[in-house]
Amino acid sequence: MPTIDIDYNELQRLLKIEINDDIEKLDDILSYVKSEVKLWDKENGIVNIEFKDTNRPDLWSVEGLARALRGYLQLDKGMKQYIVDEAELDVNVDHRLKDLRPFICCSVIKGIKLTDSKIRGLMHLQDKLDKTYGRSRQKTSIGIYNYDLIKQPLNYTVATPSEFSFVPLGFSEKMTLAEILERHPKGLEYGHIVKNSSIYPILIDSEQKVLSFPPIINSNDLGRVTEETQNLLVEVTGTIHHAVINTLNLVTISLIEQGGKAYAATIHYPNDKIYPSKLTITPDFSSRSINLDVAYTNKILGLSLTSNQIAELLLTAGLNIGTTSELAVEIIVPCYRTDVMHPIDLVEDVAIAYGYNNIAPRWRDLPTTGAEKVERRLINLSRELMVGSGYQEVLTYTLTNSENLFTKMNCKETPIVEVVNPKVATMTCLRNWLLPSLMEFLSNNKSVEFPQKIFEVGKVTFIDETSETKTRDEDWLAAASSHINANFSEIKAVLDAFLRNLNVTWKIQAINHSCFIEGRSGSVVVSGESIGIIGEVHPQVLEAWRLENPVAAFELNLNKMRKNVNTV
Amino acid sequence: MAELRENEIRVLTALDKLDGQASVEQLMLEVELPDAAVMRAALILKENGLVKIHAKPETKLKLTPEGEIHAQNGLPERRLINAVIALGGKAALKEAAKEAELNEQFAQIALGWTQRKKWATFDSKAAILQVLSTPKEGNDEKVLQILYGKDNITLDKLNPELQAAVEMLKKRKALLAEEKTSRILELTDAGRQTAVKSSLTVMMGKKEITQLTPALIISGNWRNVTLQKYNIAAPVANIWPGKKHPYLSFLDEVRAKLVALGFKEMTGNSVETAFFNFDALYTPQDHPAREPDSIYLVKYPEYGNITAYEKALEKIKATHENGGDTGSTGWGYKYSIQEASRLILRGHGTCLSARTLLSKELQIPGKYFSIARVYRPEVVDKTHLSEFNQVEGIVVDENLNLRDLLGVLSKFAQEVAGADKIRFKPDYFPFTEPSVELSAYKKGLGWVEFGGSGIFRPEVTDPLGIKAPVIAWGLGIDRLFMMRAKIDDIRCIFSQNLDWLRKKELV
Repeated sequence: MPTIDIDYNELQRLLKIEINDDIEKLDDILSYVKSEVKLWDKENGIVNIEFKDTNRPDLWSVEGLARALRGYLQLDKGMKQYIVDEAELDVNVDHRLKDLRPFICCSVIKGIKLTDSKIRGLMHLQDKLDKTYGRSRQKTSIGIYNYDLIKQPLNYTVATPSEFSFVPLGFSEKMTLAEILERHPKGLEYGHIVKNSSIYPILIDSEQKVLSFPPIINSNDLGRVTEETQNLLVEVTGTIHHAVINTLNLVTISLIEQGGKAYAATIHYPNDKIYPSKLTITPDFSSRSINLDVAYTNKILGLSLTSNQIAELLLTAGLNIGTTSELAVEIIVPCYRTDVMHPIDLVEDVAIAYGYNNIAPRWRDLPTTGAEKVERRLINLSRELMVGSGYQEVLTYTLTNSENLFTKMNCKETPIVEVVNPKVATMTCLRNWLLPSLMEFLSNNKSVEFPQKIFEVGKVTFIDETSETKTRDEDWLAAASSHINANFSEIKAVLDAFLRNLNVTWKIQAINHSCFIEGRSGSVVVSGESIGIIGEVHPQVLEAWRLENPVAAFELNLNKMRKNVNTV
Repeated sequence: MAELRENEIRVLTALDKLDGQASVEQLMLEVELPDAAVMRAALILKENGLVKIHAKPETKLKLTPEGEIHAQNGLPERRLINAVIALGGKAALKEAAKEAELNEQFAQIALGWTQRKKWATFDSKAAILQVLSTPKEGNDEKVLQILYGKDNITLDKLNPELQAAVEMLKKRKALLAEEKTSRILELTDAGRQTAVKSSLTVMMGKKEITQLTPALIISGNWRNVTLQKYNIAAPVANIWPGKKHPYLSFLDEVRAKLVALGFKEMTGNSVETAFFNFDALYTPQDHPAREPDSIYLVKYPEYGNITAYEKALEKIKATHENGGDTGSTGWGYKYSIQEASRLILRGHGTCLSARTLLSKELQIPGKYFSIARVYRPEVVDKTHLSEFNQVEGIVVDENLNLRDLLGVLSKFAQEVAGADKIRFKPDYFPFTEPSVELSAYKKGLGWVEFGGSGIFRPEVTDPLGIKAPVIAWGLGIDRLFMMRAKIDDIRCIFSQNLDWLRKKELV
């Protein structure tokens, strides 16, 4: 979920309210746009806001947030119009970018008065758009430049790794594109986006001066924006055209809101069907129109609103209304509402403007029969029997590591389900038996009063090529007893009582299992099939877990047992 | 005066017999009761003013294993002297030591003591010892003999000369002196009178019994004895009954409530395809929730088999790319079937709802729930777990709407959370629209976010062939459990602390 730093005083000014540090009141207002205060930095006048909706980049600046909220606070009605003047910049696009990063959109902003706080807000918006909406610059990335230093037309073209060198933002020495990927922090962070190609995208002006190496880094000479900068060039490159244009629209609108005047750019694309047209004018502030069916809206909401009521509610939500009939309302959706994909999105806006808490909840008694999964029956009987035998139920993680599963248990490694991206070294795979979890539990309780008797019914996971997910979960039961006199006979008596009460006839078959003491371990056999193991844990295993008391344990596969237990 | 019980009477009469004054040790022997029983009786007698208890510090003496050897075989210097005498009153040190069976180290020590005790003369150049007569038994040797085989000798029983010898033996590590407090009971006048009366009662009356035995019951002899009254307020030993895990018991309770409300349970594998975890739920393939820092990716096998869902897959692909037949714009990107079959550890239980909607078993109207273990690559801390349980589900029927959704949430708030008040807020999930957050207020606990829900988007239901509206809901049960169990660290749910589990109350 994106979190955005917002200038608190500016927000108060734009919303014409005094919040007076009342965070709850601010939260109530923010709930209209599915967001809430995360941090409140009073000293710097910054409020950090978390947005649940990852799909509303139009809210990620103080102007955008205020624009949405002013409707709900009855300060404005309908959408806000933004104007862009005729194109005054030309950008040529090289056909070799087609499979690399084909799209670019630009705008020019003139006569803007930037302050330190405004520059910070702009950088923040740029960063959030790059990271979230631009999928960490993969899909879109933004560049902002001092327009006065640039000689048009711009050329969006390609270069070999050593063809160009320039001073990247925040550095003082010239670097080639290859050096930037190797040494510059942004090169290291985003280099993977371009690295597997032999040529890289580059944006240069008519005098061969480098503006940027998209999507990695801008030039320090042309791409540095200060409070003195009055005229700006905004550029967005990317892999999906509508995402690139949406991003440019959002940044341009934000700069218009801050007093700038916007001019368009003409993008000259090569002749190819992937491009919208040979000449594309950007930004594109045109709105869309969607017909919202009145009956559909009422069916979803369980209300009986008229088309006029719906129109009124959507004006509050910041949308415009076209022609209205009794059956349908034409909704004009502004360009910045990129989240609207389906009429259902407008239905929700109607509901939010109406107020969720003004809608009466209704409990429908549907003719359904509730039921647990049948598997739960044996699980619950097992837990009851173990509790009755004096064992404490424990709950442990299924995520573990191969040291716990094999090394410490003195066992050979077998295939397990591992993850590519463990967060910590102790959680790298799913367990394939339970006893290691119980041993770990005991090792964490060495100073707790003995005897210690514990059990768990839990999931274990195996690779299974025949299954849809190539893996299989099973329900297993493990129990362990640890105290000064813990031994085989004791745990066998518990196992025997357990199985007898489930009406299961069983035999024990001597086995050698390196986790247990030789001659003190066995396989639990039911109807000729092994369904588990029992034994006295080997001192080498106890030592590995730093346990000082003997442990006797058993482990059963409840999935296999189900075949032999009639639980109905 | 309180009525005395058998042990107290026995101690009292024994004390009278021992001239009205005796130590606890003496009384133990006299009444044949353990230390603790005599002390308990003594304290009660004291409370009743029948005895006085004097605490007397004393030093208990005990031979060390080395001291015992000396007591048995004689001190090394005595053994050396005896050997010289046996060798004719004059002998080389080496020879004498050999005769005395002393090793070199002990021989040196023994030699030192013979010189200090002036028992012999020693020519250090020739290393020859000469003894004129057998030395008298020393005080240290007397003490060794007194203490040998006994452990009840105290320092005050020895005369001052012997006491000095004790000091020396202590330095030679031949004995240990332990400071102890001895308790002496002394009969008061009232005690003496009571003792006389009591001894009569004991002789005339019934015998007092502690443990009722089968023999007493079967023979009927229990009629002829008095069963001792216990101090029922006395503390007892802790026992730790087998118990269910408090969190799992709580989940049992939640499950029972949901079943009672007409919900059927859904289960599934911990490993899931991205297809059900994301794609079927209209989460685009480049969504941040699918990044390696938000979802666990399986190393091997990497890809599952989704060929069984070919029809739905085609529709979902079209919906993601351009909206397909759903009336949506779609996400506008190139959908990858390989990415759809990527195996992950499920990140939420909603994949089970997607499976149910695609299943032939789906009933309409239908209500379903799951309690599923889910996984997120988080660093575990006070507020985050890397694996946890989610309770969620769906309600599907023709003509369901937002009012019904609010109704389902209100019911959960009342039945599961026992809420006094509820509140709804707009919420966001990629797969529902409209989406609603439920907050529940409980007296004493305050407001808590208790659930998230919504109506599945047409982009979710249409490709799965579901025409009826589907309400999807999830409950924040972990927060509820933590509030109920009064814990503020989410790690306690998977507590590795046996002591906590043993002591945790069931309610």
